[in-house]
Amino acid sequence: MRRLAAVLALLALAPRAGAAADDAAGRRPGAEMVRLPAGTYRPLYGRPGDAPTAVAAFRLDRDAATRGEFLAFVRERPEWRRGAVRPLFADRRGYLADWAGDLDAGDATDRRRPVTGVSWFAAKAYCAWRGKRLPTVHEWEYAAAASATRRDAGREPWFVQDLLTRYTTRPRPLPALPAGAGNLYGVRGLHGLAWEWTADFNSVLVSDDSRGVGARDHDLFCASAAVGATDPGNYPAFLRYALRAGLTGRAAVETLGVRCAA
Amino acid sequence: MRRPTLAALTLALAALASAPACDGAARPDPAAETAPAGERYSLYDLPSTWRDQDGAALRLASLAGRPRVVAMVYTNCHATCPLIVADLKRVEASLPAARRDAVGFVLVSLDPERDTPGRLAEWAARTQLEPARWTLLNGDADAVREVAAALGVRYQPEADAEGGGELAHTNVITVLDADGAPVHQQVGLGAAAAGTVDAVRRLLR
Repeated sequence: MRRLAAVLALLALAPRAGAAADDAAGRRPGAEMVRLPAGTYRPLYGRPGDAPTAVAAFRLDRDAATRGEFLAFVRERPEWRRGAVRPLFADRRGYLADWAGDLDAGDATDRRRPVTGVSWFAAKAYCAWRGKRLPTVHEWEYAAAASATRRDAGREPWFVQDLLTRYTTRPRPLPALPAGAGNLYGVRGLHGLAWEWTADFNSVLVSDDSRGVGARDHDLFCASAAVGATDPGNYPAFLRYALRAGLTGRAAVETLGVRCAA
Repeated sequence: MRRPTLAALTLALAALASAPACDGAARPDPAAETAPAGERYSLYDLPSTWRDQDGAALRLASLAGRPRVVAMVYTNCHATCPLIVADLKRVEASLPAARRDAVGFVLVSLDPERDTPGRLAEWAARTQLEPARWTLLNGDADAVREVAAALGVRYQPEADAEGGGELAHTNVITVLDADGAPVHQQVGLGAAAAGTVDAVRRLLR
C-alpha cells in the first residue's frame, strides 16, 4: 500500500512529456490525476464545535477538463452536443456557448483552454465517460484549502487575500492548460481559472445569517442540520458557496467548468 | 454577457438573500413563486428507474399524461414535510371533486435508505393519501440527487443524529404539465400555496 502510494506520488510528480499536445482523441497524455491523502478539514458551513470533516483518500484531475477533452466526449456521445442536448440537461443559452459549432471547439490553443459553459448534468456525464466522477463539495474544498506548502491554509490571511485577488483577476479568455502553479498536492488552477462543478453542489443550505446558528436557522430550514458559517472571514469560500447556491443542474455558466475525481 | 463572473455572483448572492422559508406566512418572500424562465424542459427526460409505494418499477416518463404536483420529502421528517404534504393536500382539496383525478401528486423520498416502498405505503395510508392520485417514489441516491438538481431542491443527505435523523432540505413544490415541464414553482410553504393552486387550475382548463 505504501509502495503504491509512493508510485502514485512519483507519477504525480513526473513531468508530463508532451502535455501540451492533444492526442487524436483530444485527450492529453501523461499522469492526469493526483492522489490526495485522507485527512480532515473544516468546512465553511458547520456548527461551532463540530469536529472537522473527514475526507477519505481520493484522486483528482491535476488540471481542469479542456475544451479538447470535452470535444472528444461529445464526438462519442452526440446527445451531449450543443445542438442536440436535452434542455433538461443543459440550458442551451449557455451550454458550450463559446464554441463555434457543435464540433468546433476552436483552434489548437482554444482546445487546451478549460471547458466552461457546461451544465452539472453534462459535467457528470463527462466524468462518467472518463471512468471518473465529479468530486464532492467536501473533496473539492479539501483540495482547495491547500496552499503550495500547507494542507489547510484556509485560515491564513495571506492565502485568503490571494484567492480574492485571483477570483477578481481571472484571465479572459482562460489560458491554455497546463496553467497555474500546483498546490501542495500538485493540483493546478483550482482558484485562478474557472469555478468548478461538484457532485453534490445542491447539498449546502446557506443561511442568510452568518452570525451563528440559532432558532432563526431552524425557522429557515426547519431541520437541525441547518448550518451557519464557522469562519465569516473566509470570503473566498463564501463566494464559492454562494455560486453553488445559485445553480441548478441545467445551468450552463461561462465561468463554470469541470474537473473529475476518482 | 460581458461580465459573467459578476453576473453569476450577483445571481448567487441574490439566491443567498432569498433563502427559502419553511413558513411562508412568517417570512413572506416576494420571489417565492416563479415561473421557470427560458426554454421548456421535461423532468421526464431523466432516465432513472424508481419504485413506487406498491414496489412497482417505473420511469418518470410513465408519469406523463396529466399535470403533476411534485415535492421531495422523507417520512421520518417531523418538521416541514407534514407541512409540504399539507400544502399539496390543500391543492388537491381546492380542485372540483370531478377533476381531482385529472391531477397527480408525486412525493420523491430524500431518504431512500429508510423510505422503502413498504414504508412509503404505510406512511401514505397513515397520512391518508388517495392511492389513485398520489405516487410516492423510492430511487437510489444518485437518482434522487438528479431530481433535486433538476428541480432546484437543496438537501443534505446525511441525517443528523442529534436531530433525531432529520435531513436539512429546502421546501419546493413544483407543478409539472402533462409533459413533465415545470410551469410553476413554490418556494416556501403556507401562503405561497395559492399560486400553486392557480397554476394547477390553469393546466386543467
